[in-house]
Amino acid sequence: MTNPPLSPTRMAAIGMDQRQRNALHMLFSTKCDNRYVLMEEDASEICILDLDVFGGERLWEEFRERHPQRPLILVSLKAREISDDVTLFVEKPIPVDRLIDAIEQQRRHLSAKIEDLAQPPPPDTSPRLAEQAEQPDTQQPPRKKRTARKAASLMSESMEWAFVGTSPDIDPKDPQQLAKIYYNPEHYLQGHMQLALNLAARHNKNVGVEGPWPAIRLYFEGRKIRVSAEERQLRPYCTIPDAILKVPLRFLDEEENAAGGAREYSIDAFHWQLALWASRGRLPKGTDLFRPVYLRRWPNFTRLVVTPYALAIAALWAEQPRSLIDTAQTLNIPQRYVFAFYSAAKAIQMAGETRCAADTLPAPSAVEKPKHRGLLRRLMGRLRGDKKQI
Amino acid sequence: MNDYKIIFSGPVGAGKTTAISAISDIEPITTDELATDMTRIQKTGTTVAMDYGMIKLDEEERIHLYGTPGQERFDFMWEILIQGGIGLILLVSNNRPNPFHDMHFFLDAFKEFIGNSKVVIGVTQMDLINRPGIEDYHLQLEDSGVKIPIFEVDARMKKDVSLLVEALLYSLDPGLDG
Repeated sequence: MTNPPLSPTRMAAIGMDQRQRNALHMLFSTKCDNRYVLMEEDASEICILDLDVFGGERLWEEFRERHPQRPLILVSLKAREISDDVTLFVEKPIPVDRLIDAIEQQRRHLSAKIEDLAQPPPPDTSPRLAEQAEQPDTQQPPRKKRTARKAASLMSESMEWAFVGTSPDIDPKDPQQLAKIYYNPEHYLQGHMQLALNLAARHNKNVGVEGPWPAIRLYFEGRKIRVSAEERQLRPYCTIPDAILKVPLRFLDEEENAAGGAREYSIDAFHWQLALWASRGRLPKGTDLFRPVYLRRWPNFTRLVVTPYALAIAALWAEQPRSLIDTAQTLNIPQRYVFAFYSAAKAIQMAGETRCAADTLPAPSAVEKPKHRGLLRRLMGRLRGDKKQI
Repeated sequence: MNDYKIIFSGPVGAGKTTAISAISDIEPITTDELATDMTRIQKTGTTVAMDYGMIKLDEEERIHLYGTPGQERFDFMWEILIQGGIGLILLVSNNRPNPFHDMHFFLDAFKEFIGNSKVVIGVTQMDLINRPGIEDYHLQLEDSGVKIPIFEVDARMKKDVSLLVEALLYSLDPGLDG
C-alpha cells in the first residue's frame, strides 16, 4: 500500500493585507507544491502574524488569548526573544527558506501532537494481578490537585484542540460572530461517509469509499468500518473543507468483503470522530441555537472519544430537551464543548433539534444542587486522577 | 467519618467482582465459594455474600463499593446492601442465555432504590458475543420513560468502569462541574 500524498497544512495570515496574502498564496502554490494552503484563522492549524502592522502587539496578545496552543510564526523588522514553545520568530525581510523552515518546524510540532492523539492507551485487558491490587496507597505517585473546571476533562490540551477547537464563546445576537460557528458536514469526509452509509443501508451491501487515502471499507451488516490509513493520513480530509471534491463509492466484491488486516472501528465510533474533527467546536449549518435539542439515548461512551463535559451534557439532555445556548449557560461551560458534543451526537443520530419551538415546551428546570455535590466532585476527581495513570 | 456506597449488581458472571477490583483502592474482599449448582456453568467461583471494595477520598471520606451476590437465592442480602447507597451500577453479561431478562429482573428488583437514586448499565462480554447490541438494550427500555446510560464495558478495564461511575455521578448531578 502506498502512502497517500501529503495533505496540505492549513495556514492563516494575520495582520496582512491582500497583497501580502497573495504573495504567500503564490509562494505556497509554486515553491512549496501546495503543501500549505491559506485559510481563515478559525480553520487554520498554523498562523503567521505580522507584528509591524498598526496594533500588531495587540493582535498578538489577542491571538494568544483566542488560541493559547496554536503554532504561530511572528514576523517583524525588529528582532525579538520568544519565550513560549509554540511561537517562532522570523526577522524581516523574510528569507523564503527561513519562512519555510519555520513552517516546517511548526508542522512537525503539530504532527507530533496529532500522532500522540492517534496512540491508543495501552490496553488493560489482563486480569488484575494480585500484586497490583496489594500495592499500598503510599506507593502511588502523589496526585496533583485539580480544580473543578480542569477536572472536567482528561483530554490533553492537544487532544482538545483537535477535537473541540479553541473558539471563544459568541454572542448569538451578533450575525458576524454567529456566522463563524457553523460548518457544512457535506464538505468534509464526514459528509462523504454519510453518503456511503446511506448507500450501504439502501442496498444492504458493503461499500468502499474511494479517495487519495488508503482503503476505507464500510461493512454494513457488521456495523464496522475498516481503514487501512493511519489517523494522521485521514485527518486532513476530515478537517479541510472540500479537500477532495469527488469521492466515488462502490460496492465491495467478495474478496474485499473478506479482507481484514486494517484498523477496525464501529460505524458510530468512526462517524463520531469524523464529526468531531470536522466540527472542532462548531455546529452543522442551519442548527438553531435557541431550539431545544433532545438526546435520543446516551451514546456508548466507553467506545467513543469523550470530549470535555460530554457526560454532563448527556445527563442534562437525558432529563429534558434544552437549547444549546441554555445548556452552556446551565452547566456554566464554554459553548464549544456543547457544540462539539451536539455535532458528534447528531452525526450518529443520537441527538437532534426538537420540532417544537422553545416556547411550546416546558421551560427547562434549574439543575438542583444535591446535598452530596462536594462528595461527588471529589469522587469524580479521584476517578479522573486514576484514569490518567492508565 | 462520612461513608457512602455505590452498589454493583447483576447476574452471576457479569463481572461485578472484576469491576470492583478495577477501581478499588484496596484489595477487594470477596466472599466467593465454589459454586455447586447451576452457577458452575457460568463461573467456577461465585459471590455468595458480597464483594467489598473502597475508594478513599481522604482520611475522613470513603466510597464503599458493594457487589451484591449474583444468585437469586441470596437476594435477602440486596435490601441490606442498598441502604445508604448513592446509586446502582448494573452489569449484564451478553454471554448469558437471556441478558434482556437479566436486565429487567434486576431493574425490577431494585426499582424502589433506583427511584430514589440513579442507575447505569454496563454490558459485559460483548467481545465474546456481540449480539444483542447496545442499541437493542436501549430499545428494551424505550417504554420506561427514562434514558439510562448503557455502555459496552470490559470489567477488567479501569477506564470502562470509571466511565460507568462517572455517568452515574453526572446522572445524579449534571451540574457537578459548574
